[in-house]
Amino acid sequence: MEFTLSPEQELIRTTARDMCTKECPPSLVRAHMTDHSVASQPWSALKQWVSVADGSMADLCLFLEEAGAVLLPGPFFATTSLFMPLLRSISSSAGGDIAGGGSTSSDGSAQVADLLAEASAGKLTGTVALAGADSRWEVNDGPIKSFVPEAERVDLIALVSGGANSASVTLFRSEDVAIRPVGTIDPSRRLAEVDASGAAPILEPMGIGANIVDDLLARGCTALSAELMGTTRWLLDTTITYASNRRQFGKPIGSFQAIKHKLADVALLHEQAWSSVYYAAMCIDANDPARRRSAHVAKVMASHAAIRCAKEAIQIHGGVGYTWEHDLHLYLRRAFATEDILGTSDWHLDRLADDLM
Amino acid sequence: MELGWGPEEEAFRSELVAFLDREAPSEAVGRDFSAATDEEGIPEWARLWQAKLFDNGWLVPGYPAHLGGRNATPAQSLIYAEELASRGLPRSLHFPGYAIVAPSLLEFGNKRQKEMAPAALRGDTIWCVGMSEPDAGSDLASLSTRAERDGDRFVVNGQKVWTSYAMWAEKCFCYVRTNPDAPKHKGISVLIIDMDSNGIEVRPLRHITGKAEFAEVFFTDVEVPAGNLVGDLNDGWRITMGSLAHERGGLWVQSVAGLEHAIESLIAEARDLGISSDTSVRRLLAREYAEVSSLRSLGYKGFSTFARTSASPEHSFLKLASSEMTKHLAEVGMRLEGGLGTTIDTTHLGRPGRWAATLLASFAATIAGGTSEIQRNIIAERILGLPRE
Ligand SMILES: Cc1cc2nc3c(=O)[nH]c(=O)nc-3n(C[C@H](O)[C@H](O)[C@H](O)COP(=O)(O)OP(=O)(O)OC[C@H]3O[C@@H](n4cnc5c(N)ncnc54)[C@H](O)[C@@H]3O)c2cc1C
Repeated sequence: MEFTLSPEQELIRTTARDMCTKECPPSLVRAHMTDHSVASQPWSALKQWVSVADGSMADLCLFLEEAGAVLLPGPFFATTSLFMPLLRSISSSAGGDIAGGGSTSSDGSAQVADLLAEASAGKLTGTVALAGADSRWEVNDGPIKSFVPEAERVDLIALVSGGANSASVTLFRSEDVAIRPVGTIDPSRRLAEVDASGAAPILEPMGIGANIVDDLLARGCTALSAELMGTTRWLLDTTITYASNRRQFGKPIGSFQAIKHKLADVALLHEQAWSSVYYAAMCIDANDPARRRSAHVAKVMASHAAIRCAKEAIQIHGGVGYTWEHDLHLYLRRAFATEDILGTSDWHLDRLADDLM
Repeated sequence: MELGWGPEEEAFRSELVAFLDREAPSEAVGRDFSAATDEEGIPEWARLWQAKLFDNGWLVPGYPAHLGGRNATPAQSLIYAEELASRGLPRSLHFPGYAIVAPSLLEFGNKRQKEMAPAALRGDTIWCVGMSEPDAGSDLASLSTRAERDGDRFVVNGQKVWTSYAMWAEKCFCYVRTNPDAPKHKGISVLIIDMDSNGIEVRPLRHITGKAEFAEVFFTDVEVPAGNLVGDLNDGWRITMGSLAHERGGLWVQSVAGLEHAIESLIAEARDLGISSDTSVRRLLAREYAEVSSLRSLGYKGFSTFARTSASPEHSFLKLASSEMTKHLAEVGMRLEGGLGTTIDTTHLGRPGRWAATLLASFAATIAGGTSEIQRNIIAERILGLPRE
């Protein structure tokens, strides 16, 4: 068990941190509220880093943590953490034995491998459409998928459809399907409803096994949780700094135990969640049987830590925390809205209970 | 100890209910204290409604008729607060004037200042309350906006912040430092400042909901007639305590009844969403009901003490519990809506998530009017008698 970062991982982290803070200042996140096109600026710098998604899950998580710390808008998460893993498992299971009885022609699989290479080179963006209108990330045969991350701005949408026993993935160009934005309290992430009925796919539907969807979700949730860890860290750091500097009654408010204890509790939650996230990442990298279970834990703990930290951050900032002008609420919005993506905490707890009992 | 109300209270209730059923504007019904709307400013319907309540003796029933009341008993006033809250009905969309300034003017003002109370209550004059400053929030007594006596006037310099409604207010009930050499609680006074005086600059600030409802207010050599001093010179701290008590006094029954209204909405929503037979949902809502219901009982207990002694430590408990509960229930509501709770358009629920905007607004509850931490300190130190930190 090794939770210490290797020198290469330290480098990923510092590079990601420098690049994200440089390319995505708070002013860009605010501009993105009304003008979504501004997300292309950080993307043009970050796309050269999409290939971290070809490496270990832990490396990708380190990168995403920094993206989450600046509330990076754009296709980076959807491409690296949903689209590419799905394509990769399709292409690697083609021809071989596909559990669940799916099938992909070797022809289709070669094309998928090409797309994957393009995505990895930062030349192609994509996302996955799976959840229905109820927001549950479960394979369904409804014609309309919803809560599709960044559907409007990616090149390709991998639509997962099917029933309990057989599922398939169909690739569409985003401009060929009907897309309607779904507004949430978090303007830094764009979600959409996607209706592909009648649209021509770029490849024939490819059968996949249920385990591919489960593994996709395990990866997606772990990645999303890593993003949330960056969001949580920003909230915690910002609040510690504020509590150290803001003075009332002649002392820093951070010297009051009411404030100290809140921050200590949140720091504990952050540590717990961070460790869960990287534990899940390592399980995924090792293809360990505990990978799905640990991804549920990561998503639940990361959401809990982020939300609690956001709430305490506002409280500890007092009146200034309640203003639009302070960036805190952007992080609060991100924390709450992310809990609803890729399965709510209640949904993950239900899956976890199924697994445990 | 005795349950229920007497015939006089019930008669009062019937008359009130008839009035509300007949007169309450549709915009006001079901609009919780924290309900989100896109309107900024004080809409016309709200002004008319406040004036109508005043004219019919229903604004503050405990006051006499010329102050918008009907000499109601404390028990009747409690019934009044419950009936309004159970409909989600606000009295006014600018609380400082009727809830803080008018009672303070009536208690501490001179004859001319008392005469300003009816217009504050009716909403004809919009007031703001200037207490908080950049360096004086929880530690209000350290406020530094300076007022210097110069003949028959004061000259005011300094800055207020988070001043609700300052951009629309005609007058400010303003706490200023009149003696910088005295211990900090003993050098504060209250001035009534006309907001159109020379030297005042108001810079609106937006809430996290996006609405601009409070502001920074800058005072540069603002001249205020000496006659605008409220109460005695350097005796303003007493008024602070007074006006905070009015604020809390006005809110304590109302907020519990507001929470009950929220529980009803949660139950109705669980039914709408088809999850009311789910065991975990049932336990969740039953637990919240138990919490709120116990607060209501505590409210009645506090009310009894208050009616007899005009003071009640239950206020501090209720302010703490109901403001924390306000935040909590919004989260419970989002949870009921599952993954749809954070949506703000009509795509999925046919309406925006019902609680997302309420959640954002609810963060004010545990900050404005004294933070939860300060409430806990008050409980620990003044009620439990623990030593100060
Ligand atoms: C929506 C809204 C409307 C408002 N309207 C008005 C208005 O109309 N007029 C007006 O004058 N003000 C208004 N306020 C300001 C409000 O009264 C202050 O925000 C509040 O008193 C807290 O002060 P502060 O913001 O400076 O926070 P601070 O006092 O700086 O507090 C920061 C944090 O430190 C904690 N803290 C401070 N002291 C202690 C202590 N001794 N022990 C433990 N913890 C402590 C606080 O609880 C808080 O968590 C409004 C605020 C809001 C949010």
